[in-house]
Amino acid sequence: MPHLEISDLITVTDPLSGARLPVRRGDVVRLLQESGDPRAARIVAGLPAGRDDVLDPLAVDRLMIGVHTEMQRLSEELRIGERLVHVLGPLFEAIREIAGRRGRFRLVDIGSGLGYLVRWLAATGALGPNVELIGVDLDAALVAEADRLARAEGLDCRFVHGNAFDLPEIATVYVSTGVLHHFRGPALTEFFEAQADSQALAFCHFDIAATRLAPVGAWMFHRARMRHPLGRHDGVVSALRAHTDDTLLRAATVPGIRPLLYEPRGLSNPFCTTLRPVLGIRPYLEDPLRLAMGRASRRLVGAEQLSRPGAAR
Amino acid sequence: MNPVLPLLALGLLDAAFSGFRAYAGRDARIRKHRAVVRAALRGLAVGAVLLLAPALTAGAVLLAADDPDRAYGVLADGGVGFLVPLGLYALAVAVSLLAYFALPFRASTLAMVVGLGPLTLARPLFVAVACAGALVAGGGWTSLLVGAVAGAAVLCVEPFVHRRWYAMPL
Ligand SMILES: C[S@@+](CC[C@H](N)C(=O)[O-])C[C@H]1O[C@@H](n2cnc3c(N)ncnc32)[C@H](O)[C@@H]1O
Repeated sequence: MPHLEISDLITVTDPLSGARLPVRRGDVVRLLQESGDPRAARIVAGLPAGRDDVLDPLAVDRLMIGVHTEMQRLSEELRIGERLVHVLGPLFEAIREIAGRRGRFRLVDIGSGLGYLVRWLAATGALGPNVELIGVDLDAALVAEADRLARAEGLDCRFVHGNAFDLPEIATVYVSTGVLHHFRGPALTEFFEAQADSQALAFCHFDIAATRLAPVGAWMFHRARMRHPLGRHDGVVSALRAHTDDTLLRAATVPGIRPLLYEPRGLSNPFCTTLRPVLGIRPYLEDPLRLAMGRASRRLVGAEQLSRPGAAR
Repeated sequence: MNPVLPLLALGLLDAAFSGFRAYAGRDARIRKHRAVVRAALRGLAVGAVLLLAPALTAGAVLLAADDPDRAYGVLADGGVGFLVPLGLYALAVAVSLLAYFALPFRASTLAMVVGLGPLTLARPLFVAVACAGALVAGGGWTSLLVGAVAGAAVLCVEPFVHRRWYAMPL
């Protein structure tokens, strides 16, 4: 049975035009019932819809903004910003080493939601002053809210409505958090290919580590911290849908890119690793990156180390 | 030992944390120290008012008693039994918080997922255990009554502050 996230089903955007499409509540309820998830079906059945059974788009937007605001609390508690800078700091150091100290760089966060990461990076200046910060998301309401929040605090970053598969912004480095598990099968490879085909020097995508503990931890954490049943439901399903190390490395094996995994299962304490990234870097960046990471580079492995018998499993 | 002051201190501390929890997840700004302090103060204020309920209940018990000195002794015994589980709970929270703030990000995440998260969920359970503790320590039904009122009061702070000030995302 496929695990389905409610938020993926109640907001549907035309990938070409970016226009919001009407969603019939009954269709979503049926789909969730057929997938063997009556709890999710009940949550959707309780959402407001018009006479034509189309979900009220304004109510859905409000709900999504509310759920993402609560999700940000989890990101704050899990220190997502620090986790990212731990890898992105050395990555930008390596890029500066190669591209010259005075270059201007651009980080694009794909599927940025409310833009916590981009706004946090802007507020802390953790990547240095010469890195432009941009968030891209398919959901126009989240983009607008991210923009409003950034302006309210006078943060130097911006947000763009766009699709991960047809990226509107060129970048030096593409990043994401909690987005990879939304892309399944060939879409995951297409996602990495689009970035490898661009001028970007690297990508670094963080998602939930697919450990046995992840769904239990996700249940506990979302239960304790999130109020809306939709957020609690999707939080656990995300952990169930997390991609394995093998899947990520295989999908990120695209021309022109050296795929690497930071903190794969076998090398890290599953209790401490909640989110960890798959990286794709231009091959000439590998040595400078390892140098910049120092001892931590032991945790950065390619497919060859993972498939060695007994290694990193 | 007179348990009134430590119980009051724990109750007010819990109320301040409840105020924070009522607010957390409602404000997506990055810089929010002042908003956090305001939420904790709101929790503290609501807690101070709600904690009058167990104080008045205890007062009523003493007024109605034939032998107020004996009734006071019984309540004090019950209060100690009530305090012990809550003290242990507060200690566990303090250790988790210390680990969360002092350790590097990997280990601090662990403190959050295995410490502070479950401890938040277990608050009503610890209140129930505290009530049982009041009985076991010889506090009788009067301590159970005061303890139950106090437990209900502290558990109400978070929902009240949440509904009053943080029902919608800010
Ligand atoms: C689980 S949320 C994560 C949001 C944010 N990165 C965070 O960590 O809080 C997934 C986000 O990906 C966005 N998304 C899904 N598919 C997308 C696509 N094809 N292009 C751009 N964004 C997409 C959704 O709109 C949603 O905001």
